[in-house]
Amino acid sequence: MITAEQKPMDEIRGMLAPYKRILALGCGSCVAECAAGGEKETAMLASALRMAARINEEDILIQEKTVDRQCVKEFIIPLDDIVEEYDAILSLGCGAGVQAVSEMYQEIPVIPALNTEFLGETRDQGYWVENCLGCGDCMLYYFGGICPLARCSKQILNGPCGGSVDGRCEVNPDIPCAWQMIIDRLTRFGALHRLEEIYPPKDWARKQGSGPRKIIREDQQR
Amino acid sequence: MTDSRKRILALFYCRNIPESSETDRQAIETAHGEQIRLFPLPCSGRLEPMHLLRALEEVADAAYLITCPEGACRYFEGNRRAKMRVERTREILAAIGLEPERAGIVMGSKEAPRTLAQHAAEILDKISQMGPSPALKRPANETFACEKRREWL
Repeated sequence: MITAEQKPMDEIRGMLAPYKRILALGCGSCVAECAAGGEKETAMLASALRMAARINEEDILIQEKTVDRQCVKEFIIPLDDIVEEYDAILSLGCGAGVQAVSEMYQEIPVIPALNTEFLGETRDQGYWVENCLGCGDCMLYYFGGICPLARCSKQILNGPCGGSVDGRCEVNPDIPCAWQMIIDRLTRFGALHRLEEIYPPKDWARKQGSGPRKIIREDQQR
Repeated sequence: MTDSRKRILALFYCRNIPESSETDRQAIETAHGEQIRLFPLPCSGRLEPMHLLRALEEVADAAYLITCPEGACRYFEGNRRAKMRVERTREILAAIGLEPERAGIVMGSKEAPRTLAQHAAEILDKISQMGPSPALKRPANETFACEKRREWL
């Protein structure tokens, strides 16, 4: 899922300063899972902003709504009937959600309330970790299901570097050595020979080299 | 100008603390009148920052939570979670320029257990020292204050 964190309150209030009627718009998917922009967090932020406005004697309307997904137009369409009542939309979606809503409502500023962070896994309650860079050319098979690009501090494809101590990364001892995990897993599967191959430097053209990426599936289109 | 209005307390509490039955709740409400709004919870772990924020936004000068003593939660870690959520709420209050002390938590004591009524009286006394909450204040020109909430909001 896509992870995000709420921007500092001062930054949000600064961006909202010119507007009087604001719709705080949550997203019930990824950012709800990472407790940044779901229904609960949207209600909290809207409540805090209303109180901040009162404290500063500002005359502002802040209302809230959460859609199931801000990145899918079908879920945004129900806003058609109400958006004209607002000067601005404060989106608690990820960057994709903010832009999808902006695309739908060209005349209304859509302001991001979150900093979109990374593709993450929920490791535990309140604990999310990055383990995929979305490189566009998945090599997890060769590395026993552990991505050295996302999880090795040095992003080396032909490891280990030799610097780990007791299975911890020498760059950041808070994280386990990805290459130690790769070797352990491949050994468990009897597939250590996959590391005999020399992997060439990653071709990042599949990620960002050709501008924004898109996927077109004609069988899924109307 | 001095605000002579008595401070209003929104008090959330775990139903497992001593003398916190419905009868006790009604007795406290009768004793303190409009000064207190009581919100019983099945466990303090049910509390979300949203509850405290909404209370501060809508009705109260201060919003507090009373929990069972540390290590004595019937559901093991409800009060431990509640403690972190109150802390999160206080961070939000600080970020918007409201005194963090307007949200608080009182954890019961195993050695000297207190009743709900005793806790309520102590917290009311504490918040009476505070000024009125500016977050509750509605400026005369707050055009939107009375705007009816939409069905879907």
